[in-house]
Amino acid sequence: MSMQNSNSSAAPSWPLLTGVSVVGVYAHFLLHAESQIAVLGLAVGAILLLIAFSRFGWTARVATSAATYPKLLGAGAVAAVVLVAAVSYEMHFALLMLTTVLLYSTVCLGLNIQFGYSGVVNFAGAAFFGIGSYTAAVLASHSPLPHLLIVALAGLVAALLGSLLILPVLRTRGHYAALITIAFGILFKTFLEVNDALGGPQGLKIPGMEILGWKFNDNIAIGDHELSFYLNYLVLSLALCAVTFVLVRRLERSWMGLSMDVVRLDETAAATFGVDIARWKITAFTLGNGLAGMAGAIYGMMTGFVAPNNFTFGDSLILVSIVILGGIGNPWGILPAAAIVLILPEKLQFIQEYRFLLYALLVILILLFRPDGLLPRKIRNYFPGDAGR
Amino acid sequence: MDLGLLGQYLLNGLMLGMIYAMVAVGFTLFFGVLDVIKFSHGDVLMVGTFAGLATYLGLESVGIDSPWLQLLLVVLVSVSAMAVLGALIAKFLILPLKDAPPLNTLLATLMLGSVLRESVRLFYPNGSNPKPFPRLLPTDEWSLGTLTLRVDNLILLAAGVAAIVGVHLLITRTKLGLAIRAVAQDGETARIMGINFEWIVLLTFGLGSGLAALAGVMNGLYYNETNFGIGLLLGVIGFSAAILGGLGNVYGAILGGFIFAGLQTLGSVALPAVLPSVPSAYKDVFAFTAVIVIMAWKPTGLIAEKSSERV
Amino acid sequence: MSTILLEARGLTMRFGGVTALDALNLAVHKDEVLGLIGPNGSGKTTFFNVVTGLYAASAGSVDFEGREITRRAAQEIYRAGITRTFQRSRLCLPLTVFDNIAIGNYQHLQHGLLFNLFRRQALKRQYQENLEEACRLLATFNDKLVDRLFDPVSALTMIDRRRVEICRALISRPRLLLLDEPSAGMTHDETHELMSDILQVRQRLREAGNSVTIVIIEHEMNVIDRVTDRCVVLNYGEKIAEGTYAQIAADAEVQRAYLGSD
Repeated sequence: MSMQNSNSSAAPSWPLLTGVSVVGVYAHFLLHAESQIAVLGLAVGAILLLIAFSRFGWTARVATSAATYPKLLGAGAVAAVVLVAAVSYEMHFALLMLTTVLLYSTVCLGLNIQFGYSGVVNFAGAAFFGIGSYTAAVLASHSPLPHLLIVALAGLVAALLGSLLILPVLRTRGHYAALITIAFGILFKTFLEVNDALGGPQGLKIPGMEILGWKFNDNIAIGDHELSFYLNYLVLSLALCAVTFVLVRRLERSWMGLSMDVVRLDETAAATFGVDIARWKITAFTLGNGLAGMAGAIYGMMTGFVAPNNFTFGDSLILVSIVILGGIGNPWGILPAAAIVLILPEKLQFIQEYRFLLYALLVILILLFRPDGLLPRKIRNYFPGDAGR
Repeated sequence: MDLGLLGQYLLNGLMLGMIYAMVAVGFTLFFGVLDVIKFSHGDVLMVGTFAGLATYLGLESVGIDSPWLQLLLVVLVSVSAMAVLGALIAKFLILPLKDAPPLNTLLATLMLGSVLRESVRLFYPNGSNPKPFPRLLPTDEWSLGTLTLRVDNLILLAAGVAAIVGVHLLITRTKLGLAIRAVAQDGETARIMGINFEWIVLLTFGLGSGLAALAGVMNGLYYNETNFGIGLLLGVIGFSAAILGGLGNVYGAILGGFIFAGLQTLGSVALPAVLPSVPSAYKDVFAFTAVIVIMAWKPTGLIAEKSSERV
Repeated sequence: MSTILLEARGLTMRFGGVTALDALNLAVHKDEVLGLIGPNGSGKTTFFNVVTGLYAASAGSVDFEGREITRRAAQEIYRAGITRTFQRSRLCLPLTVFDNIAIGNYQHLQHGLLFNLFRRQALKRQYQENLEEACRLLATFNDKLVDRLFDPVSALTMIDRRRVEICRALISRPRLLLLDEPSAGMTHDETHELMSDILQVRQRLREAGNSVTIVIIEHEMNVIDRVTDRCVVLNYGEKIAEGTYAQIAADAEVQRAYLGSD
């Protein structure tokens, strides 16, 4: 708070770089922590550190600096992920976690367009993710299509199946639309369980990805060192997540973002000023589901396996929790929130079983006491860095 | 198809419809007084069923084994515990979020449903597995030609009718009901007229949740089994039924419940008959497709919602 | 006789058993300020809602600039050149002053996915134009408001919110502006100030060749007296009088409607 007086145009870039480095180093230790005590210590340490940082106004400094150099922030974040991954080059599990965080973040960026911007609720996020996995399973096993095209097609199929819901979602609002997506999510899972063609409850196997002869599921040998094959998926997921992030950012900082916000906040006012409500809801719903489908396809190819049980209503709620926890409408909130929600239960085995319960409680507390989430959304700045004047 | 089988389907449909109607009435009452949807309603029902089951096991362990006494206490404990739970939810979750964006209430109650579901799964002994629910009603059978009537089913149907009629009388004939209707019409004005708004809201949530608990116990007695997941399904179906009948309209909710049960029964009977390749396992798929189609067709219900938005 | 800009013929709006507008005939002349008055529930706001497409008329027709616009979607009516304010302010409170004004110019903003995501330079030019226009409009009201362009509307006072709402309605250069009780919730002095602002903005727009016709719903009779050229009085959805303020103030039926001496 006390740092507000520092002139933003003259803000230095080092707080930003320091901040990114600290988060990177922290992520590294978290991924490598072996004992439960160490993980618990890291979790408690993070909370204490955050409190201390805001007490001394350092978080405000980092925020000012980040707002001044948005490109540096993006580059820094990518660099941090690459570095953390490079250091863990032979640790399958750490890389799997990191890639999962990136893919879930991509899905949540899509959900953020849906209910963060245009106010279209979607409680079937996991179902659209699953549609992507199943599409990849079917196409990669039974067609010669190039795998990158399959990822794109998986997005398309998810968006198309989502469009079945567009009519009911458009004709209804809020609670009703929520019910429709919940019904769809349950329907999807029930359908897969009883449908033998798609493997029933046992699910399907998915071949690993292969691009131009490069097999993603083979470890990479460089001299004597063997790099984990997960690095392949990590690079691809990082690319997808980063591109999605930039586009979502641009979308928010454009007339599209403005129109979606107005649709969410006041449909009557929106209609009175010519805003085509259906157009923006359809755009948001389709984009979001398409992103979920693409991420689902990559995830499925990485894990080699898809089954109905991975896409329950509870999983959809976890996705929603990530968006709320991070700060609804703020894409920067999603990454740390996804990391917390996904990595902590894997590392702290004793909360694994309780994760649905814990996150549901956490979201309730956030809604009651800090509805804007950990990193609240900022005022729209169409052209940051050089705006205002 | 013979008459006996048809009768069985009819009875089964009526029973389902009764349970759905009781859930839907809760949704519609809550929407009436506060314009909110409590998505955790189905899970409150589920907790009510488990509260009843736990009561039964407790009674068994202390040696009270008269079925009628057991039944009375099971219903009493379940209904009153859920009434209290419903009021607590309203007090500490829904009223504090009254001025927040509707999305927040929606999310909060959805998450609360998750909390209830997971709590039962994790903390009820062996809660992740289906549980047998005791038969506390006489199971004598009467045969009418090919149709077999079971006494317990008839009692359950009668109890459901009694509960719904009771709620109806409470709302239309008593002072409390008048206050609930006043708050539903216009909360502000009701407050000015000296009605204790918060108290009425809490009572309404208690009433609806108690009714759901009763439906949950009836559901357990009917199927002789229950599990932690029934709430989600019954909640979604009850909400659909409430919407089908027009939210805020008690008669509509009851009608919606029976229509939905009719559709579902029809689905499970007609689907395999028309398309023999489709197994009856698809009946839930059919039911949820019906939910989506109904919402697309009549988004505000068959009986119009109470009032349009004020501009 | 001046030209007619908007004409309602036999306009009827029923809600269930209630008739909010009863075969209303009403003409708005080009370039005038028309006051729409009447007791509560006489159908004034309903008239606005029917004209702007929020309600679908039960019967009758509305013509704007010679074209029929009855039962068109709200969006089409906006594009035809009619904008409005609301009795209870309908701004998007978490959004900035600029965002709220810019959305008023929706028909001139480019919405293509490719334009918004990939042609950032072209978007920036369009953004700058709208920024300048918003500043110009705000400055007509109050120079201090220009400094608050990037504040959320929730941080503004009531009167400033009204001003932002009027800017939102003006930025697309409409030919007809419907003001629904702009003085609601304001003190006497604030109302006076706001009315001066409105008259001033209108004057400037006229000088710039963008004259705007105004229909204003008001309860404060001194406001009506000061700003309107002509008045129409509604009661139970019917027109009971029409004329200058002096004429309608002297009308016996109008007095009866207001005092309810029947």
